Amino acid sequence: MVSLSPQPTSTHPLSALIDRLENGGALLPESPENVVEVVGILKSYGVVLDAYWRNLVYIADHQFLVLFPFFKYFNGELSWKKLLRHWWHDRINFEFAEYCMKAMLWHGGGGLDAYLDTPEFEQRAIAAIQAKVKTNLLMRTLHRLTPAFLLEQVRQFCYYSVLGQFWSVMSPLFLALSDRYDRGEIRSIADVVAHIKQGLVDAANLPITYAVEIQGTQYDIIPESAGITFLMDAAVPYVEAVFFRSFPFFGTTSYNAQAGYISSQQRDFNYGALYADPLPIGGAGIPPTLLMQDMRHFIPDYLQAIYNDTLRGEDDLRIKICISFQKSMFCVTTAAILGLMPYPLDTADPEERQTNRAYLEGWMDRLLASRLLSVQEC
Amino acid sequence: MLSLLIWGPLFGTALIALLPAAVMTPARARQIALVVAAGVLLWTGYLVMQFDPNLPGLQFRESLSWVDSLGLTYQLGVDGLSLPLIVINSLLVLMALVATDLNLTRPRLYYSLVLILEAGVAGAFVAQNLLLFFLFYEVELIPLYLMIAIWGGAKRGYAATKFLIYTAISGVLMLAAFFGLSFLSGSHSFDYDGLQAQALPMATQLVLLITLVVAFGIKIPLVPFHTWLPDAHVEAPTPASVLLAGVLLKLGTYGLLKFGFGLFPEAWQLIAPGLAVVAVINVLYGSFVAIAQTDMKKIVAYSSVGHMGYVILASAAATPLALMGAIAQMISHGLISALLFLLVGVVYSKTGTRDVTVLRGLLAPECGMPLIGSLMIVGVMASAGIPGMVGFIAEFIVYRASFPVFPIQTILSMLGTGLTAVYFLNLVNRVFFGRMTESLAQLPRIAWRDRIPSIVMVVLVIFLGLQPDWLVHWSKSTTLALSEVNRTATALMLPDSEP
Repeated sequence: MVSLSPQPTSTHPLSALIDRLENGGALLPESPENVVEVVGILKSYGVVLDAYWRNLVYIADHQFLVLFPFFKYFNGELSWKKLLRHWWHDRINFEFAEYCMKAMLWHGGGGLDAYLDTPEFEQRAIAAIQAKVKTNLLMRTLHRLTPAFLLEQVRQFCYYSVLGQFWSVMSPLFLALSDRYDRGEIRSIADVVAHIKQGLVDAANLPITYAVEIQGTQYDIIPESAGITFLMDAAVPYVEAVFFRSFPFFGTTSYNAQAGYISSQQRDFNYGALYADPLPIGGAGIPPTLLMQDMRHFIPDYLQAIYNDTLRGEDDLRIKICISFQKSMFCVTTAAILGLMPYPLDTADPEERQTNRAYLEGWMDRLLASRLLSVQEC
Repeated sequence: MLSLLIWGPLFGTALIALLPAAVMTPARARQIALVVAAGVLLWTGYLVMQFDPNLPGLQFRESLSWVDSLGLTYQLGVDGLSLPLIVINSLLVLMALVATDLNLTRPRLYYSLVLILEAGVAGAFVAQNLLLFFLFYEVELIPLYLMIAIWGGAKRGYAATKFLIYTAISGVLMLAAFFGLSFLSGSHSFDYDGLQAQALPMATQLVLLITLVVAFGIKIPLVPFHTWLPDAHVEAPTPASVLLAGVLLKLGTYGLLKFGFGLFPEAWQLIAPGLAVVAVINVLYGSFVAIAQTDMKKIVAYSSVGHMGYVILASAAATPLALMGAIAQMISHGLISALLFLLVGVVYSKTGTRDVTVLRGLLAPECGMPLIGSLMIVGVMASAGIPGMVGFIAEFIVYRASFPVFPIQTILSMLGTGLTAVYFLNLVNRVFFGRMTESLAQLPRIAWRDRIPSIVMVVLVIFLGLQPDWLVHWSKSTTLALSEVNRTATALMLPDSEP
């Protein structure tokens, strides 16, 4: 707990949360139930992310410019058994990882987005494209007809790789959190946030690179010299795209433009995980998100017991997972907010504290329409 | 053969009621009731298979003298008019038992009453003696009164008493008409076959027929004798509502056709235009009042008032096709209203409310009731006469047959179909669509026991909609014979009407 001289209370509508953050708390209220839910759900998320990142990296490395990547979700291990299981849909929904990747691609942001528009990237990408299409008449014709198409595909493969690398750090981070909880080292939401924040800080400057091997030659598409790093160029754009703006949680909320559900201001347009409505709307045809389907297979026993001990039991399991997941994502968001604070939280300088306050109020403005208030009641 | 439909349930009642409590646990009482009801349904199925639809008259006749001095004999028989109603009685009793809450209080009494009700209704449908019919008609009154009064809602006492008073008046009027018919015609018998009202002066026939119309009109119910029905439905437990809407109201329309039209064909010709107007009032009044309701049960209850109007319209038209339409509409309404009440019952038992202004988004997958919502959508579609379902077939026959006889009344009645879509789509839209209210997101699980009766109803609603011959072919000969009586009466009346 940080102890400071009193600062005037914020006049922001979410001033209570700002106070809590300034006093070392998290966006999610402190409670034993929340700790169990968050740690348990992050454990299952860690398992799922492990599968996701391996597949993303496989696609980036081994399905590079494959025109019809029919078996991209098989990680090169194709068999009838796996194929039948895939069609039966008893599998990890790798599509969700791709949705996230595309959300990052479309929303951009960070150094990666800027780098992908540089001549250096274009030069490196075209070299790889030329090598790839050299022995493929169809691809070569396609490239000649629409030179921008394959270039854009390479940009997408960069995001495959970058998101894969980002999750390759986050997955063990969440699994380590669960291990520490099992050992009794994690006892509060503040511990959870501290663990995640430390993980982000430790990995902040990890270089993000991407290279493909074509006919024995390695092509560096994102070299280390591009200066793409874990925190600012992968984590922050990811949070922006997936937590705040993206569409991977589509289907959980029914947006009606005529009813004014969609803001005319693009900056106010939020589809992200922190805004997703866990109660699905409308007809039976709208499924809960693929991520919830994936996580349900890896829920730890202690969390499963809590879920089962409700009126509906397993019937609305994915909704409960979604609610828990949102809670956990508010912990991750807290870690990101605290990690990016302009000045240390315990600074004694009034100006720095004022800057921190303004920074937090800016975040709260963005979270006003999110599920933040809902998770306060849980 | 027919006696088994009456004495089987009564034997079950005796078992449940008389065996010691140590032996007859609530679970065992339920099992016995279910086995008896299932047995009766199977036996009904056997009767259907043995029934010859080409014969217009009564089949499986049973005759025993009972209290000869009173003219009361144990005369049973079944024809194309009563057979479909017997089937629906046996089916709905079983479904109502399946849908019964496992934790209800005084289970032995409850299951006994349901079986008595089944016996009473079956007896009324097969009775061929007017006094015997009256006895069974009154017998079914007691269990339903007790079901509402004991297991009903907050205002159950008021609703049960109102139901009792109205139905008792109905019984008294009916008995008066039966006595009048028997003694004024000089037959001193109450056997259906022996009564010939045509021998009476037309004025006497009219008085007796109008008395019967009011008597059965209370049961149907006809506006303005309907006010007991919404109260009874709202306060009754779900199984009682199912039986009330699905079967018991049909006693009114059955009685009207069997004893009103069947015994007074000449007088029927005179009151038929008035009946057609009453039918229109029923349809439009029921529909408009349903639109204004916010209680799901009241909406379905007023929908019943409206839809029974179609039966009256077709009965008034009284052509062979119209009579077939009346029977088809009775079956259609029996299935659809039972389905809707079953579904409303599930919604109420899980959410604790039937208020359409409170309920929202129940179609939500996982945390809502997607299957119940889907079945409700099918139910309201069927009620609104969407093709492919039994409601369409029945209403189409009614309109097609009634239009040549009462064109204006038929067109006005057709508005009711559109209005049905209005109030039911409003209900579905409010209750099942939109974002689920947070307070409803923690609903208890829905057991298959809650779902199975509704699924069975939906299967039948669709099956009979796609294969309507199964709905009407049992009644073809009977309705033809009935309308022949009507035609003869018309022919007899025509010379009198000439100057």
